[in-house]
Amino acid sequence: MNLVILPVLLPLVTAVTLLFWGRPSPARRVLAATSAAAQLTVALALLARTLEAGWLVLPVGAWSARLGIVLVADPLAAVMVGLSSFTALAAVLYGFAEFRTALEHPLRLTLVQFLVAGINLAFLTGDLFNLFVAFEVMLIASYALLTLEADDWDVKQAFPYLAVNLTGSTLFLCAAGFAYRLFGTLNFADLAARAAAQPEDPRVIALALWLLVVFGLKAGLFPLYYWLPNSYPILPAPLAALFSGMLTKVGVYVLLRTFGTVLPHGLTGVHTLLAWLAGATMILGVLGALSRNFIRGILSYHILSQIGFMVLAIGLFTELAFAASIFYIIHHIIVKSSLFLIGGTAALLSRTDNLDRMGNLWRHAPGLGVLFLLQALSLAGLPPLSGFWGKYAILVVGLEQGEYVLVALAIVASILTLVSMLKIWNAAFWADAPEPAATQQDPRGRWMNRVTTGMVLVSLAVGLGAEGVFRVAQQAAARARDQAGYLRAVHAVVTKDAPDRP
Amino acid sequence: MSLETALLIGVLFGCATWLVLHHSFVKILFGFVLLSNAANLFLLSMSGSPDGREAPIAGQTAGPLVDPLPQALILTAIVIGFGVTAYLVILLYRLFLDQKTTNAAELFAEQDTSERT
Repeated sequence: MNLVILPVLLPLVTAVTLLFWGRPSPARRVLAATSAAAQLTVALALLARTLEAGWLVLPVGAWSARLGIVLVADPLAAVMVGLSSFTALAAVLYGFAEFRTALEHPLRLTLVQFLVAGINLAFLTGDLFNLFVAFEVMLIASYALLTLEADDWDVKQAFPYLAVNLTGSTLFLCAAGFAYRLFGTLNFADLAARAAAQPEDPRVIALALWLLVVFGLKAGLFPLYYWLPNSYPILPAPLAALFSGMLTKVGVYVLLRTFGTVLPHGLTGVHTLLAWLAGATMILGVLGALSRNFIRGILSYHILSQIGFMVLAIGLFTELAFAASIFYIIHHIIVKSSLFLIGGTAALLSRTDNLDRMGNLWRHAPGLGVLFLLQALSLAGLPPLSGFWGKYAILVVGLEQGEYVLVALAIVASILTLVSMLKIWNAAFWADAPEPAATQQDPRGRWMNRVTTGMVLVSLAVGLGAEGVFRVAQQAAARARDQAGYLRAVHAVVTKDAPDRP
Repeated sequence: MSLETALLIGVLFGCATWLVLHHSFVKILFGFVLLSNAANLFLLSMSGSPDGREAPIAGQTAGPLVDPLPQALILTAIVIGFGVTAYLVILLYRLFLDQKTTNAAELFAEQDTSERT
């Protein structure tokens, strides 16, 4: 059995099983949790194998890359699959505390598994059109999850999300057609080989800009991000954690993949554009966060600001910058998802998400306060938490390249991040609540805290063991940028069709 | 043949954009239907000029064939587009039931996104 197919196959099989199981029951929950844990194990095994072997290639149906679809796992893809499995596991476990079994929506666990299948396929695919299909699987599951439990007032926020993503998908489809016309192939490895042969061709730059728009839209890059901050807050906390952790990061991953593995490395103009768009995203995202007055709204805007950091590192385009970006993704996904979960618990205890009406949580739930503080400071980038190392590496690369303005923007964004995190801390945890009786103890909070504690511990481990994690990130970056090695690995697999086109 | 196709694609994209920019969600919906058709036609034109080439049908392999891959891609895209359109129609219906309007200006008029309960 080839390990590469399992991260897609396991969630699909689980989703179908859950779908036909129908009514929520404790046994059904056990199945969902077991499957999520198994997926995490598979992802870790995949990571260990790819760190050894470099690339694992699966030609689906044993057709060669030229005719069929290939799945390729390299350390970068394996790291991302691991993160998606981890976040999904945390979201599923946290979701169990939210409702009694009987009140759970029967489709939620199913759709989460479909979403994870789409996300993992996007990470593992080695083919531009298959990437489009993976995006659609992921987006359709996300549309459904977005509206599944939304109330009458919130459901309209799904429409802009849908409209923007539909436009993005159409553009992506056209870009795939354009790439096929240009190079006669959709396979990443062959695209890279043929694009490298004509680096001066303006059509290659056009394709790069086209893909930048499409994936910038998915990642939430300035000026294409306005759909995100209003749509994420309508999700229930565990789903918001999964969405905020993974969906935009699929966009960032695909930017890493296309600019590192597929397109020629000489597109300096496009890379500079990417870096400056990232700088604008950082600042505008954090300013948006300061303007919001409810926890999930603030956190949603922070996603954008953080996306700016990751994409800035891609735009700087050295190997160290890629490693910094990958490290930042690892840090960010864990911290951001756990902050959404902590925000969900805080909202549950206070019966509101609005900072004006919250307060006194520090007295009622000191454990939650500690968790929040650790993750908030990590997000702002205080040593020795994981966010510090990610930002440090990006700033070092920025200074090396002499991009002083961008570095200054990043530092300002970090300080403003700290300010807006302190805003949540002061209003929700420290200050007195306007109606003191509003905050209540809730037995569900204890189970929720256990899940978030697990995530915070992993996040602390990333910060304290930053050297080891950074080494993995460096290896992932080196492999992701090694176009020749990628081509060799994809073409080395044994397939059943003849080597040459008839 | 290529010029007519290019013009048709341009007109379709233009109409789709014009419809999507409306306030009414029903018009936006029709805009997306047009947009996906324009994209499919664009994809089809990527297989090159069909002059003098046969359609890629199994069993009929006389003469040169049109590149079948874009057609396979379009089939996939049509299926996905159909599913998404069906979902969009249902969402629109729910919006109409909940809010008694499908006009974006009315739906988002009095909303202040910085405050929530």
